[in-house]
Amino acid sequence: MVTELTDTTIDEFVKNNRVAAIDCWAPWCGPCRRMGPIVEEAAADLAGRAGVAKLNVDDNQKTSLKYGIRSIPTVLLFRDGALVDTHIGLIMKADLVGLIEELL
Amino acid sequence: MNADVVVIGSGPAGLQAAISSSRKKADTVLLGKPSNSALSGTEIENYFGLAGVTEGDVLLSNGTSQAEAFGCRVIRQNVLGASADGDAFTVEIESGEKITARSVVIATGVSRNKLGIPGEKEFFGKGVSYCADCDCNFYRGVPVAVIGGDSAAAEAAKLLSGYASKVYWISEGPIADARLVAEAAEAGAEAVRGAPAEIVGTSGAEAVVLKSGARIPVNGVFIELGGRSSADIAMDLGLMPEADDTIKTDPNGGTSVRGVFACGDITGRPWNVAKAVGQGAAAGMSAAEHSRR
Repeated sequence: MVTELTDTTIDEFVKNNRVAAIDCWAPWCGPCRRMGPIVEEAAADLAGRAGVAKLNVDDNQKTSLKYGIRSIPTVLLFRDGALVDTHIGLIMKADLVGLIEELL
Repeated sequence: MNADVVVIGSGPAGLQAAISSSRKKADTVLLGKPSNSALSGTEIENYFGLAGVTEGDVLLSNGTSQAEAFGCRVIRQNVLGASADGDAFTVEIESGEKITARSVVIATGVSRNKLGIPGEKEFFGKGVSYCADCDCNFYRGVPVAVIGGDSAAAEAAKLLSGYASKVYWISEGPIADARLVAEAAEAGAEAVRGAPAEIVGTSGAEAVVLKSGARIPVNGVFIELGGRSSADIAMDLGLMPEADDTIKTDPNGGTSVRGVFACGDITGRPWNVAKAVGQGAAAGMSAAEHSRR
């Protein structure tokens, strides 16, 4: 099960994982629902090497505003606590894992 | 309305599925606008048995007549949504009518959802969106444009009118059903006649510039071409598409959902008329057989 983050827990997650990928999603968004299992599998593949989590933008609008999210699904990619890349739109698992592995 | 088989998509795969299904005496309804098929407006010279060059629209027209001759009901409307209820499926079309059947064939092809105009790629995620359902909430209280003339644009214009301060629905003339056009207007969307030339802005989209030179200041640009996406229709029916929008099928066109079949470009490459027709035949026959079980 992938960790579900909130506006209050996201910073700590990013701090505790040298490389972190956060899938910003919402339940009404079709592509986001399709992204769900992809993120689950990527999290399992990368366990122990990178932190992979989800954040519901509907319930956590401060994070959406902070990172200027205007389209979902959006994956925020962090390294050493800093946002280094953003991917907007549905992504294949191999491509998502590849994006994260580039940061390791 | 009830039927044995509903075929969604009126390109070569959907038409062949409808022909094969109705020839098997299944009560078949074919939904879609042939002009949305990738074959429309093209020519074909590598299809078995056709000498020389044949216009795609001639094949589509002939295929539609063939399907009708076998008893298929052809409705030239897009699908707005679908649902699964036990072993039956219900599909809603632009007019608001609902059709219930035991078998559904998805033959919607590969959606063309990009305009290919300057600024579109640059501002994707920074004002440009291809999913009003997904992103409407990010555009509360600001002006937006919806681009497209078909049912997806009409639905988006109506939806966004509940969020944005102003919705400009840009098209060269709506081809969506009159009911949907009226609903978008009633919701407050302002119809703008014209073709988009460019999306301009700095850190985000700030305006749509039309070919006429008119500039429409907006913070959001929703590009909604054609009808409801194949992926959304599949999900409505309980089927999870692959990440690349394709649907996995067995050799008979069956999917992971019993009673739902798929054929043609939606099943993946190669995108080829002969392949689409072959798959359409298999899916249409399977759908007809399933509807009788």
